[in-house]
Amino acid sequence: MSETKTSAPAGLLLDRRRALMGGAAALAVSAVGVSSAVAQQAGDRIRKIIINSAAQAADPQEFQAAQLVAQEWRKLGLEVEVRGMPRPQLSDLVWFNREKWDTTMWRMVGRPERSDPDEVVYNLFHSSNRDKGFNFVGYNNPAYDSIAEKQRRELDLSKRKALINEAQDIIMHDQPYFFLVYPKNVAAYLANVWKKESIVDQSGIGIRNFWTFTGAQPVGAQKDMICNATESMIALNPLYISGAIDSWVTDLVWDRLMRVGPDGLPKPWAAESATWVNDTTLDVKVRKGMKWHDGKPVTLDDVIFSFEAPAGDKSPMYKPFVSNIAKMEKQGDDTVRFTLKEPNASFFTATLSKINLIPKHVWEPTLQKIAGTPQTAEQQQEAQPIGSGPFKVNRFKLQEEIVLDKFADHWAAPKADRWIMRIVTNTEAALGMLRRGEVNFLSDYRGDPKLLEDIAKQNKDVVVASTVDMGFRFVAPNLRRPPFNDVNFREALELVINRNLMAQAAWNGFAVPANSHVSAALTAWHKPEKFTPSLDAAKKKLQDAGYRVVSGKLHYPAGVKETMTPN
Amino acid sequence: MKSVLSRFAQMLFVLWVVATILFLMFRLMPGDPTAAYIDTTFTEEQQQQLRAAFGLDQPLWKQYFIFIANAAQGEFGESFHHRKPVIDLLMEVLPNTLVLTLSSIIVAYIFGVLVGSWLAWNRGTRAEAIVVPTVLTLRAAPEFWLGMVLLATFGFGLGWFPSGGANSAGAAYGSEWSRIFSSDFLHHLFLPALTLALYLQGLPLLLMRSNMLDVMQEDFVMMARMKGLPEWVIVLKHAARNALLPVMTAFAIGIGQSIGANVVVETVFSWPGLGRLLVASVAASDYPVAQGAFLLIAAVLVLMNFIADLLYSVLDPRVSHGARR
Repeated sequence: MSETKTSAPAGLLLDRRRALMGGAAALAVSAVGVSSAVAQQAGDRIRKIIINSAAQAADPQEFQAAQLVAQEWRKLGLEVEVRGMPRPQLSDLVWFNREKWDTTMWRMVGRPERSDPDEVVYNLFHSSNRDKGFNFVGYNNPAYDSIAEKQRRELDLSKRKALINEAQDIIMHDQPYFFLVYPKNVAAYLANVWKKESIVDQSGIGIRNFWTFTGAQPVGAQKDMICNATESMIALNPLYISGAIDSWVTDLVWDRLMRVGPDGLPKPWAAESATWVNDTTLDVKVRKGMKWHDGKPVTLDDVIFSFEAPAGDKSPMYKPFVSNIAKMEKQGDDTVRFTLKEPNASFFTATLSKINLIPKHVWEPTLQKIAGTPQTAEQQQEAQPIGSGPFKVNRFKLQEEIVLDKFADHWAAPKADRWIMRIVTNTEAALGMLRRGEVNFLSDYRGDPKLLEDIAKQNKDVVVASTVDMGFRFVAPNLRRPPFNDVNFREALELVINRNLMAQAAWNGFAVPANSHVSAALTAWHKPEKFTPSLDAAKKKLQDAGYRVVSGKLHYPAGVKETMTPN
Repeated sequence: MKSVLSRFAQMLFVLWVVATILFLMFRLMPGDPTAAYIDTTFTEEQQQQLRAAFGLDQPLWKQYFIFIANAAQGEFGESFHHRKPVIDLLMEVLPNTLVLTLSSIIVAYIFGVLVGSWLAWNRGTRAEAIVVPTVLTLRAAPEFWLGMVLLATFGFGLGWFPSGGANSAGAAYGSEWSRIFSSDFLHHLFLPALTLALYLQGLPLLLMRSNMLDVMQEDFVMMARMKGLPEWVIVLKHAARNALLPVMTAFAIGIGQSIGANVVVETVFSWPGLGRLLVASVAASDYPVAQGAFLLIAAVLVLMNFIADLLYSVLDPRVSHGARR
């Protein structure tokens, strides 16, 4: 719909701008005169480049970073404008109008299942995702595609590591993204309520994680963990990936066969062990004696059902994570044998640590009821959700709070009695609540981290933890649109970005410079590289590639016409 | 009776216009509802499925007729985002919003009427020189600022009141009524209601004051004085009753206006109300929720206008006489 909406005026605009630009160029050449020799060697002047960003109010750091990038790019002779807009509008432009923008600020967020680099290595840059998937920049490199495919099938860890390194090398050279920073996650808790040694800092995630929530030991009488979230919950459904905050809850209520451990590696959880029989056959031995929150036993049929349910068309968001499973069958009374369509190195992290175990006796009738209707499992909100996780749902109001009770029958029952998450929309108030103990675990803090540190300095009970996130922030150039299709141009643009300054000035020191799509938080996979920003090197790069500066403005190499208009 | 019926028909017409504008507004706004689902694993197929599930694959006119037909039956559809009926989402927060709005507006109007009368009676005194600018300042102060000052002072400063929410963490109640009448809820209600009341009191106070000043020039007040009635009897029984009419109208309309306009107070005090739901649904392009919430607000507003009209003709017989003539 939006395409038809904008294409007509854009066309008109294009013609008018071309006429204007032609006139202006002619005027400039005749007026300057002296540089006419240079002007003859140069192509058209490069259009104004727009950096799209979230609005300043919505994401001050991102907006500030965009300003810093623009400032540097202007030094190369480019005309640059930063355009802030509401995030939904930005997503709409970038995702659904792929021909229409030049550059945009963007981010990848950290999630436990991204501890395996497959998701970023494959989905972000594989050319099959160029038209509709996450490869919205339009990167297309057959050599990269082949490595991304190979690493996915490589079960030998050291060989796979070499492939991931190679993938990072290619991206560092091709610069399909201008990486900025890996931000740090900041969270805090009260040390007079929770024992320090029981708080777990998960690699790439921070202290707000499953291991802390289930393992935190109360110091005294307060045995309720009271957390905060800045936004309302969206839903509470094991077959619907509804939002980040919801995922903290689903993590606790529904168990998985494996879980991503504090070190970022998958480890058996509801499974006792997982053993590869060959490249495509996996035996998972399921832990015995587990119970659902309604008291019924967890059976192998339940486990198999949990992986079958998303495979149909009723849980579209979970479907990609089970699509590689060819079949499942029971082996004896405690083992499920998975047969895969093709080898998959990230199966433990991306599938076994992702799929929620759901009770067949609850979901089978529900799915049967909606079979053949347009309804999906995502719309089926259980009044009393039933999982087998360490916490069970007591009650919830999406806009207000959720109360989980400890599931005493769980084999790894939590130390806290209840886990309560309050929706606190006011960041200042959240800080106030922490100081007064109205919340004792600040799980969602979006304010200035310095402020939180100051509070911790004044109040020794407040403990702040900041952890490098596995997500990253970047500027995405649209590789479909010249001059961004030229790797030399991109390299020059990248060379002027001062990431240290960015981390200090835009993120207040709570970020580290980023160079790769595999975050520095994934220590086993990340390939470090030192960047030295250099304006001279960037200018030289452009000069060598034929770009010319005429009267302070950057022009294409000789003979190249400007074919685009600013978006 | 006839005029009541024609007013009612007008109301329906207004609501239909509002519904139509809402429908078009959200569909013309930039931002695709499926943009909220963008993720590394988000595929074209998923997007098509979502659009079909949301009914966005239908032609616009068809979507419109479905929407109007459903809305006429009080059915607002299902939230794109929460995947549950809009009416359930609205009902979850409506009691909180109603309590907050009604309590603050009633306090504001009682206070405004009393102080307004008192000020009119004390015209030109030093009290006036202090109270009127104070009232104007409170009326002009941004709500979020006022809320933050109260919160920082009495909330997490002195600790007299909780810093947010409508109930204490993990508090359980047998029913919605027992929750709303619990001391815990009232404790949480105090600061947000006070903020809203401080913001709202300016209008009735100044309105009452100026009406009183007019009324006090009337012959019947002079007459009462000549009869030697005590001052307070003249103020309350004679002057104030007559000056109250426009304030009543403002009160009825004020309820309608503030029902959806509490976004700021709700955000500052993390109060789970309609305003927050509305803002979140607009941001997420959750058309059904946004349409439902706006329509609900419009319905209350229109209804309150209607009631104000009726009230006026009851309180002031001249209005209905005028209509009949």
